[in-house]
Order: sequence, then structure tokens, then C-alpha cells
Amino acid sequence: MHELSLALEVCRIAELNAAPRPARDVRTVAVEVGEDAGIELENFRFCLEALLSGAPFAGARAELVSLPGTDLRVSYLEVDDGRPDD
Amino acid sequence: MAVRTIDVRERVMARNDELAAVVRQRLRDAGVPAFNLVSSPGSGKTSLLERTLETLGEELGIAVVTGDVQTQNDADRLARRTERLVQAVVTGGACHLDAAQVTAALDAIDLEQTRLLFVENVGNLVCPASWDLGEVAKIVVLSVTEGEDKPLKYPKMFRMARYAVLNKIDLLPHLDFDLDQAVAFARQVNPELRFFFTSARTGEGLDEWYRFLRAEARAPALR
Ligand SMILES: Nc1nc2c(ncn2[C@@H]2O[C@H](COP(=O)(O)OP(=O)(O)OP(=O)(O)O)[C@@H](O)[C@H]2O)c(=O)[nH]1
Ligand SMILES: [Mg+2]
Repeated sequence: MHELSLALEVCRIAELNAAPRPARDVRTVAVEVGEDAGIELENFRFCLEALLSGAPFAGARAELVSLPGTDLRVSYLEVDDGRPDD
Repeated sequence: MAVRTIDVRERVMARNDELAAVVRQRLRDAGVPAFNLVSSPGSGKTSLLERTLETLGEELGIAVVTGDVQTQNDADRLARRTERLVQAVVTGGACHLDAAQVTAALDAIDLEQTRLLFVENVGNLVCPASWDLGEVAKIVVLSVTEGEDKPLKYPKMFRMARYAVLNKIDLLPHLDFDLDQAVAFARQVNPELRFFFTSARTGEGLDEWYRFLRAEARAPALR
């Protein structure tokens, strides 16, 4: 039931770590979900995808990996760095 | 455009845990133990607090922070039992209180005039188990109308709690609730649990609860 608040916190962490790039440049948010974290994975995915599809994000992808353990962790982001392709 | 990967490796609960640690330190410095009351909706958290405030509110300088999803009903009920401040937190849909909300509520409470703090969490046996609020202990309230097996169905909550209040015992004659079985199930998930058996309706069993709270408010050095 608290998947939505956790997804909100993931978005906050993603926005902070993407800076100085704006949240709309985030392409992927990768999250490790502990099997014993008390999180319903599909519900969490639904919440996170919904949040990432709207402002301040612009359709970032949620990449969820289920791991042993109790932690929920944002592992990495993929962000447009604003420079043209090399 | 070029895509760059940014390593984050940040625990999602980290911010809540940091805030909870600050709350805990602040309360410890002030010598105010805080109890986080958790239960399913309607087990009697507010009723127990109404009684407690009437009897011990002044004596122990009890302050209350009470969380609700949508209303201030509980805060209004409690405010009728005490001259002291009752802080309402409306979570606006969220199924639990978090440490940021408690931090904000503490700013409104005069800790110098407080010896005991209760936080009434949102009625929910799942989510509040995951959010540390800086409390000394969680107290889980289970009413006898809910069935003996709740500790097995919601083990995390019963594992995270140090105390359990079995409430509404005045109704036992009308039910087939097996008290010993409920205690056995709870001890199965948490052998350390200490029990109180109460009726917030008749007042039965509250003397022991009050003795416990008096001792807690008296002995901040032991924490
Ligand atoms: N018979 C009986 N009824 C009780 C007792 N304690 C509470 N109640 C009743 O149970 C209902 C719910 O009590 P509350 O104190 O509002 O429960 P709560 O846990 O604060 O509920 P939420 O905050 O909504 O989760 C009320 O109608 C109370 O009068 C009790 O010991 N015996
Ligand atoms: Mg209540």
C-alpha cells in the first residue's frame, strides 16, 4: 500500500541526482527491490511508471531488479547529458 | 543526444531514517520517550489515548501527534480530553506517517513541558511498520474482534513492536476469540512482546498500562 510513497521518494532521489540536468532528461531510473523489503513489485512498478510518465519527468523508463535482502535502492540513472551524439 | 549513466546507490528509506534519527536525538535530549501506536483501523488507538489523557495527561505531561488519512476527527476527540496541544497530521491519502511529518509536528510542541509523547499512526497493519518515526518503541493495538491470527498475517508489524495492547476485552463474552491463542501467535513472531489486556470502554486492565507509562516517563535515563 505504501508503494506510491516509495515511488515518490525514488522520483525525488532521481531528480536530485540528475541535477544539473532537468528531470525531463532522465531516460532510465534503475531500482533494486529487496525481496524482503515489503514491497509488492508490480504495484510499485505501476506507481513508478505513472510518476515517471508525467512532469517533471518526461517518460523515463523504470528498470526494476528484484534482489535478496530488505533494501530498496536507486542504483543508477541514465540521463541525456544535453550534448549532441559523438 | 548522448546518454550518461549516473551511479546513485541510494537507499530509498535513507532520508526518512536520517530524519527519524534526528527526531530520536531531539527527544532523547529533551528526556521525552515517544511511543508509536499502530493498529488496523478501529482497534481503539484513539479510545485508549482518550482514557490515558484523562487519567495521566497532566500528571505525565503527555503530548500527542495523531495521523489520519483524511480527517482531524481523532485530534478533535483527543483535544477534548486535554488542555495540552494535540497535533493533527493529515496524510492526504498516505497509509502511514513519516519522520518528516513528525519533525514538523514536534516544532509545534513545547518539549520542555512534555514528559511523554504518543504518536497515533494511520490505522493500517502493513505500511507503518516500514517507517521509523524516531520512537522509543512501537506499540501495536489488536482488538479482540479482529481474530487471533493477525500476528501471523501481519508478522512485520508484530515483529517491529515491543509492546502489544489487546483491546476491547469487554467484548470477549460475546466472541469466540481465543486470547491465549492470540498471545501464542504473537509470541511466535516476536517472543519479546510485552502484553497489556485492556478495555478502553470499561477501563479494565488500564491500571497496569498506566503503571507502565508512569515508569516510562520517570526513567528517561534508562533509555
Ligand atoms: N467495546 C469496546 N469498544 C471499543 C473499545 N475501544 C474502542 N472501542 C470502539 O471502537 C471504535 C473504534 O475506536 P477508535 O478509538 O476510534 O479506534 P482507532 O484505532 O483510533 O481507529 P483509527 O484511528 O480510525 O484507526 C469506536 O467505536 C470505539 O468506541 C473497547 O475497549 N471496547
Ligand atoms: Mg484513531
